[in-house]
Amino acid sequence: MKKVLVILLLAALGYFLAQTFLEIPLGENRIGDINAQKPTAAGYYLSNTKEKSKVANVVTAIVVNYRGLDTLGEVTVLFLATTGVASILYRRKEEEEEVERLNLPSSNIIRTGARVLFPAITLLGIYVFIHGHLTPGGGFQGGTIVATGFLLMLISYKGFNTNHNIMTWVESIAGLSFVLIGLWGLITDHTFLGNIPQIGELNKLLSGGLIPIIYIAVGFKVAVELTGILDILLKIKPKK
Amino acid sequence: MVITPIHYIVVPLLAAFAIPLLVKIHKELPRIIPGLVMFYNIIISIVLMQQVNEFGYVSEVIAGWKAPWGINLIITPFSGFLVSLISFMGFVIWLYQYRFKRVIDVGELKSYGILQMMMITGAIGIIITGDIFNMFVFLEIVAITAISLTSFYRHRDGAEAGFKYLLIGGFSSTLILLAILLLYTQVGTLNMAEISEKIHLVPQGMKATILVLFIVGFGIEAEMFPLNGWAPDAYSQAPGPTSAAFAGIVVKAGVYGLIRIIFTLFDIEGAFDFLIIGGLVTMIIAEFSALKQTNLKRMLAYSSIGQMGLVLIAFGIGTKTAVFAALFLMFNHAVIKSLLFMTGSILMYNSKDKTISTLNGMGKKLPFISLLFSLGAFAIVGLPPFSGFWSKLYILTAAAGEEMILLIGAILAVSIVEIVYYFRVVSKMYFAEETEHITIFKPSVNAKIAMGILGAVILIIGLYPDLITGYLHNAADMILDKASYIDFVLNSNAPVQ
Repeated sequence: MKKVLVILLLAALGYFLAQTFLEIPLGENRIGDINAQKPTAAGYYLSNTKEKSKVANVVTAIVVNYRGLDTLGEVTVLFLATTGVASILYRRKEEEEEVERLNLPSSNIIRTGARVLFPAITLLGIYVFIHGHLTPGGGFQGGTIVATGFLLMLISYKGFNTNHNIMTWVESIAGLSFVLIGLWGLITDHTFLGNIPQIGELNKLLSGGLIPIIYIAVGFKVAVELTGILDILLKIKPKK
Repeated sequence: MVITPIHYIVVPLLAAFAIPLLVKIHKELPRIIPGLVMFYNIIISIVLMQQVNEFGYVSEVIAGWKAPWGINLIITPFSGFLVSLISFMGFVIWLYQYRFKRVIDVGELKSYGILQMMMITGAIGIIITGDIFNMFVFLEIVAITAISLTSFYRHRDGAEAGFKYLLIGGFSSTLILLAILLLYTQVGTLNMAEISEKIHLVPQGMKATILVLFIVGFGIEAEMFPLNGWAPDAYSQAPGPTSAAFAGIVVKAGVYGLIRIIFTLFDIEGAFDFLIIGGLVTMIIAEFSALKQTNLKRMLAYSSIGQMGLVLIAFGIGTKTAVFAALFLMFNHAVIKSLLFMTGSILMYNSKDKTISTLNGMGKKLPFISLLFSLGAFAIVGLPPFSGFWSKLYILTAAAGEEMILLIGAILAVSIVEIVYYFRVVSKMYFAEETEHITIFKPSVNAKIAMGILGAVILIIGLYPDLITGYLHNAADMILDKASYIDFVLNSNAPVQ
């Protein structure tokens, strides 16, 4: 009886939501005239990014520059998620000795394949976050790709260990450099993340001022944090 | 360097990213650094409140893009008041927890320091931002940290409470994101002032759906019935200082979100009646649930939910007196309920099985703590001459001004329930015979100072309410004055820094 009621309630809610979603004007051009006196936000981004930010990929300019505080916030969310997972699954020193990694038996083929793929995956990830201002992708996507490479190694090799010390350093320095770049803008230009220097020319790897540097920092941070989460989650306490 | 609103966010972030490295230098640093950050927050609040008094508001844009194209931070008398309150509470809570659990491991200490500091930063971010999506990002920060802190003691009940909070909190975030998405398809902007300017263009049905999604999403953080299933468990399982921070800080941010959306973003009148009804149901159910509790922290948690119900009622009445009363109540709730959680968790730590019935004779064993707990209990039920009296009086005055007789009756009836369960605890502490001899854990000096500060605030505001009513009147004016908020954000060329 209770289940029927729940299903009916959910169906009613679903119908209501579907009705609302049908009202979304998909496919319509709602950006408006991008050269208007007071364009919409989207129109403003489209018409100004090329000259003002010198970045070919408008999405990257929005993510890292126009809405840079959101990106800093999202980086922080990931950082805090890692800290939270580490805190919930934390083990004291005396407990740590009993812990070993989830040991899945992996065949020779998987191990060899993983070893061959690992450099290629890492390289692809690094490519994606270095070219974030030119092509689709960026720090978050590239960092995730790098982390999948580490996941492959972690599940194929029982003896593969990540160096926590290096990971902490990379994570902290990447995070600090994002904030410090923002602070540099605050000191020189009175706006956080402002004063992006105009170096390089459009469509070249060296362009967009500090935007690619921020994205590279984000890439490193995301890669290290996701690897850290995987490393913590894969460690289990063996049953005695 | 001039102090600007972004410092509230950047300084804690620098500290949070640096703590994992600094802990290698000295293992006490993760304890000390959050305190320095919290102290700096108070300095920022003082400087910015002076500017707000002078110019009416302080606004800042990120990356040099003017609103509505970039993200802007704006401090109005309303948000400035809440941010100052949160900064003050953040520092007091840090002082209380400084030597908390001396035996704690370095690794745990590091996570705890970062999470607690970032939870407070996230709450501040929700309040100072002028951009709806940015608000969502900060809400995520608060949710993630609050969930991790709920399960900080790695035992079964903590994990259960954390998981419950994770599910409900995730649901809340999803709904808010959905609402933001729908709103963006309709108005094409994320800036709250511009949304408010364009909201009349949105069709009525769509507007109602978006508002419902927002209310449910933020209602979860603001502990509104029936969305508050996470609260009693989370409050009772989290470490003591974190419970105090939930009551003093996190809930305030949730209520801020709700109020900003209903008062500034939307122009639907029915939302106010909804607030009254939702608040009333929340208050009645929570207070009667509190009456049944045997665990002290759970009782305090239900009482906290009940108080937030009263805040929502006051906002729902919507007149200037009522909004003023609601803000006064938010201030009182932050100070008093945090004091109750701080003293309560020390009392619990010393009782045998964490129930109210084992508090017999605590008045003699822990005189200072018991005295402060009683002070808090008297203040929160609204006895004169403590600060809680004034806020309750103003709420009743506001309800009387609108001739809502039934509402007055309900508030008074619930106050009696409140008196019953608080006085039950107080009488146990002072008048029941000491049953067992247990070794008493004495709170450290800094914790006593922190609780003493809060006790002093309750007494001083109770005797001289005029000290803060000026700020509260300004804040109440600001909430009701939508036009000048839009004007500040979109057409300002004055004190942009």
